[in-house]
Amino acid sequence: MRGRVATVLVHLARLGIALLSLLPLYWAVIISLRQSGQPPTTTLEWWPQSFHWDTYAEVFRTVPMARYARNSLFVVSLALPLTLLTASLAGFALTQLTTAWRQRLVTASVALLLVPGLAVWTFRFHILNLLGLVDTLWALIVPGLAGGSPLFVLLFYWAYWRVPHELYESARLDGADAWTVWRLVALPLARPTTIAAALLAFVLYWGDFTTPVLYIYSTKMYTLPIGLQLLRQMDETNLPLLMAAAVMMALPIVVFVVLVQVLFLRDRSLANMVDIE
Amino acid sequence: MVPEVGASPSSMAQPRGVKRRAAWVRDSYRRQNALFLAPYLLGTLVLVVVPALMTLAVSFTDYQGIQAPTWVGLDNFRRLTETPLVRFSLYNTLIFVVAAVPLRLLGSLGLALLLDGRRGGGLARAAAFLPTVLPETAYALVWLWILNPVSGPLNLMLGALGLPAPAWMAEAGTARLAIVLMALMQVGEGFVVLLVARQMVPAGVYEAAEVDGANRWQGFWHITLPLIMPWILLLLSRDLIVSVQNTFTPSFVLAYGGPYYSTTFLPLLIFELSFDFMDWGLASAVLVIVYAWILLLIWGARNLIEGLRRREVSDAR
Repeated sequence: MRGRVATVLVHLARLGIALLSLLPLYWAVIISLRQSGQPPTTTLEWWPQSFHWDTYAEVFRTVPMARYARNSLFVVSLALPLTLLTASLAGFALTQLTTAWRQRLVTASVALLLVPGLAVWTFRFHILNLLGLVDTLWALIVPGLAGGSPLFVLLFYWAYWRVPHELYESARLDGADAWTVWRLVALPLARPTTIAAALLAFVLYWGDFTTPVLYIYSTKMYTLPIGLQLLRQMDETNLPLLMAAAVMMALPIVVFVVLVQVLFLRDRSLANMVDIE
Repeated sequence: MVPEVGASPSSMAQPRGVKRRAAWVRDSYRRQNALFLAPYLLGTLVLVVVPALMTLAVSFTDYQGIQAPTWVGLDNFRRLTETPLVRFSLYNTLIFVVAAVPLRLLGSLGLALLLDGRRGGGLARAAAFLPTVLPETAYALVWLWILNPVSGPLNLMLGALGLPAPAWMAEAGTARLAIVLMALMQVGEGFVVLLVARQMVPAGVYEAAEVDGANRWQGFWHITLPLIMPWILLLLSRDLIVSVQNTFTPSFVLAYGGPYYSTTFLPLLIFELSFDFMDWGLASAVLVIVYAWILLLIWGARNLIEGLRRREVSDAR
């Protein structure tokens, strides 16, 4: 009996956490369905009072959001595959090194996890400037060449490290080169990790506000996050319009998370994708 | 195809050529491997290591971005202590870290324990993870609405419960609190890491403890917690710096560091000094302090985790 009560309590707590986590976004959806420019009420609303879908179209008429969306898509469509390729190859190569070098590079990568981006903001500007990349979308794409973040490289490394090494060895003895071993043996066995890394890389590039703030100046190069900030600067009080823009920007991420959960994991969790078992 | 050594009489007759061919294949495998690592290592060198070394060098110079840097010794570090904006932003950052990091860690641990079910709970996990991966600007805009003092849902709810309704971003003290609150809902990363760490504890350990008559709390305190401690320490070190970095977008979008500079944390300060004031020397000096802090964290995390491992080994004996 006591056990059953505890189980019910755990389920209620889980439900509470889920609802609390979704609440901010839900509130944003409610207000986004009001008419653009309409001031909010001073009573708490739990259900949309009206369905002004036109507010969503208004976003595109207020600022050149379509251009910003195109820029964002351009960045993501190049940076995401680049990141997966470089991080996956680097993670695989780490498993093939001699023990001494492997330990050195893995330790350095873990240490790099503790170095925040802001540590190199200032002079990355000078490097990008030297390379002629400041104020171009390439400034946002170029981190993809370096695996995006040491986190991605480590995720792939941990996944490939768990694969029994005899599999790599026997492929090598059959005459496979490193590219073939990676493509035919390693990569298919680490599919959950690749999906997890794809999700995290998408989040990284799609929502990136800092990099364009630092390195992009021309309005025609703006990406969606900057567009949202621009919209806020134009009229901070037009909450329906602002929330419509925020919801549109969040939507691909929500879809991605739900898809990954439903299609690939079912009973397993996001955590299992990056499992270090 | 690699000729198998000793497979045929002809290869026996040319052991030298075969060896050379095998060595060539081995070396080409290594070369390919090096090629795979090259983008990551080279990119990290160009985008992280070189800028960090430049920062270190420029921190001892006066550099406004137009003329070549001139050597000024420790002048920038003296100016650090004299510039009110720098002092105030360091103070803000300290307050944020002290308030947010322990709560974020506790939140991650609580979520990991509560949502750790081998059966079910998958959608709750996805929901709890979501605020962390939402685009930062969109998330900040949503809070602009939630924190609205008059018509925002948070204050309306507090009012309905008969609680005081703060002015949030309009007042210095509550503005910092609001940024902490936003950070508290974004613990997805720590929660996932601890969830994985928790699942790595073999189930057999608990069964053995249950046989010995341990209850759930004892199981957590004496088994789970010690076993996932290295992960908690790694998270703690990471959060002590990364959560500071993550204040950039909320403080930028919600109030641009205001009101009265109360949400000007380190990232916004560095942004202002380098890209608004063009005072690259002073900005670099601030960054050198950040580097010292990062090195301390790396060193501390390493030692603590090593210490735990050693104790575990000696306990096992």
